[in-house]
Amino acid sequence: MKVEARIRRYNPEGDKKGYWQNYTIDNADPTDSVLDILHRIKWELDGTLALRRSCAHGVCGSDAMRINGANSLACKTLMARLGSGGSIKMQVEPILGLPVIKDLIVDMEPFFEHYKSVLPFFINDTPVPADGRERLQSQADRERFDDSTKCILCAACTTSCPSFWANGRYVGPAAVVQAHRFIFDSRDEAAEARLDVVGDTFGVWRCRTIFNCTNACPRDIEVTKAIAEVKMALTSGTI
Amino acid sequence: MTTTIHNNVTSRKVKVKRNFERNAYTFMRISGVILLFLAIGHTFLQLIINNVHDLTVNKIAMENWSNALRRGSEFLLLIFAMSHGLNGLRNVLEDYVHGKGAVTLIRLGLAVFLIITLLVVGYAIIAFNPDAAAAGVSSIGYGQ
Repeated sequence: MKVEARIRRYNPEGDKKGYWQNYTIDNADPTDSVLDILHRIKWELDGTLALRRSCAHGVCGSDAMRINGANSLACKTLMARLGSGGSIKMQVEPILGLPVIKDLIVDMEPFFEHYKSVLPFFINDTPVPADGRERLQSQADRERFDDSTKCILCAACTTSCPSFWANGRYVGPAAVVQAHRFIFDSRDEAAEARLDVVGDTFGVWRCRTIFNCTNACPRDIEVTKAIAEVKMALTSGTI
Repeated sequence: MTTTIHNNVTSRKVKVKRNFERNAYTFMRISGVILLFLAIGHTFLQLIINNVHDLTVNKIAMENWSNALRRGSEFLLLIFAMSHGLNGLRNVLEDYVHGKGAVTLIRLGLAVFLIITLLVVGYAIIAFNPDAAAAGVSSIGYGQ
């Protein structure tokens, strides 16, 4: 099959603003991923195309892109999902809401600033158990934050959020998911500090339950549900 | 932080800071539920109990608005609809307007609009005299 690719280009050394460039790839397979096609474009047609990727297996979260108008990982999105028949149209652009560095590469720093603000690490200052081994918790307690442990920080959720597009000071869905992961961990002791961050003016209250984040998550995390649980914790004072 | 365990699930009480956005969020949820009942009640009374073909000025003045409870519920509907709606508008505007001064101006403008509307309509509802209104309607022969 043939892939008609339309890719958003931007070179800070020469371009005042971004533009669309078209490429055609022949002999593509339905099982080829968007990343495979981007690689073929870069390696066979235009070596100047810049993109970020690492593992290419949906684990590292490096290649989140806006593909045919929706955020997803280039390595997990197959041609079969974009269409069928002899010709497939594929439009790829950088994720929105973050500054573009070059072509499909964005500056992730603002995203990671929000991530760091929720203290995304285990905090417990009490002495370790006498046997020196792990702090135990029940399976039911573990289940409460199981979903939010799956986040790979690809930023697909945050950059699909219209509230984040409108105001970059909003911490964003990914940071709230990270906060959720520790707030609802019965072994963690810094829930109040994290709730202060996500309960701020630019915290969860900016969420309008649009559900773009849930649709965009390549790990199928129920992001909007996690945000709702944090809102409930903030309004009820119970976690 | 008090901790309780029920069915192997740990539940903890935490201190949460209150702020304007949190209060506004809570208000939107509560007022939304109240509005649901008030609006359904209003619709039920206005369009089902009263036949829509009988919705004349005379009918409204003589029967509906002579009932203090009815006037009270209409005023409550106005209060919650206006405050809920204007707070929603504030949310939308503040998504796109980021300057501190502009945000203050928006909040002030919406608050003034809310207060003036409630005062004017509140005065109209409280000062409404059904007998005088009905007499006026009779004198011009309208809405019989």
